[in-house]
Amino acid sequence: MNAPEASTTPSTPAATLTVPIGGLATARSPCCLRTFLGSCVGVALYDRRLHLGGLAHVVLPDSAGHGLPPGKYADTAVAALVSELEALAGSQPLRLTARLVGGAKMFAFQSGPAVGEQNVEALEKLLKQANIPLVARDCGGSKGRRMTLDVGSGQITIESVGQPHTFL
Amino acid sequence: MNNQPVDHVRAACRAAAGLASASLSKWLSRPVTITVEQVEAMPLEQAIGLLGEQEGTICGCAMGISGSLQGILVLLCDDDAGLALAAMLLGREPSADDEWGDLEQSAVVETTNIIGCAYLNAMADSTDSPIAAMPSPPWFLRDFAPAVMQSIVMAQPLTSETVFLTRTEFSIEGSPARCSLVFVPAPEPTAASGATE
Repeated sequence: MNAPEASTTPSTPAATLTVPIGGLATARSPCCLRTFLGSCVGVALYDRRLHLGGLAHVVLPDSAGHGLPPGKYADTAVAALVSELEALAGSQPLRLTARLVGGAKMFAFQSGPAVGEQNVEALEKLLKQANIPLVARDCGGSKGRRMTLDVGSGQITIESVGQPHTFL
Repeated sequence: MNNQPVDHVRAACRAAAGLASASLSKWLSRPVTITVEQVEAMPLEQAIGLLGEQEGTICGCAMGISGSLQGILVLLCDDDAGLALAAMLLGREPSADDEWGDLEQSAVVETTNIIGCAYLNAMADSTDSPIAAMPSPPWFLRDFAPAVMQSIVMAQPLTSETVFLTRTEFSIEGSPARCSLVFVPAPEPTAASGATE
């Protein structure tokens, strides 16, 4: 497990790591990775064969050379997740797929393109450049989300206040 | 932001808190004290984490501010505090069975309207430069606390990774009300019109 920026909640059946704002975490099964998303976007990379996964909480689309913490920016988060997952996989080749969650616009009076949409666009472009298929997404809308990646099964659970859970 | 504008905004916030306290006391028919807790520039992550480790549901009532002073002003409270506030306004005792219905939401929306307008008036009075600020109708939401804070902070166009933020706390009849008013002005130069004399 490689999650220096995450905190552990040991009381759940599989250990759950909460990925903080701008953070990222990678793990092998059994483990769950969780984050809260409003306008920010969660990008999950997963290898179904090796049961390895990673999750980054992206705040901004472009690091503009800052780059730290890497999970905070779309352009550094994807590269950092791949690098950490490669380290976890060792000599085995990775077959990653990606899913995106978040990017809500929670206030009706916001006008113009929201940062969430910019994050989603940047991540889609970066995933394409990295040849990582984007297999599912649950983005936009006006509700916040709690996103949990079960690294054992690969399933992503999305919770929103007052709505039934959905799965990716 | 250097100390001079921050000091000015702090003074303006204190004046605004005084006026908002008076307006809210009248609205609730009981003494309300609003105190300025924070006026500072802070990194994005710190601003988003303002509510600490709280992961549960909170209520927010937000007003977008446009004009020469731009930003977002949000009344935040947990369910119990928000419902207690609504019960006060609706003239009944708070109950554990209270839920967010149209009436309760409307009461909190109207409270935000009153506080927000008092705030903007006091901010406008505190500067020699004319301020024409137009608040949007308050927008009620109930969501995960971290998601709400992200959206408040990220609602402004970001010109740097530092966010200027003010936060006030409430007490009603001497007891903490577990409500906060957060104001995030748009980044300078627009916000400077409200932050300098």
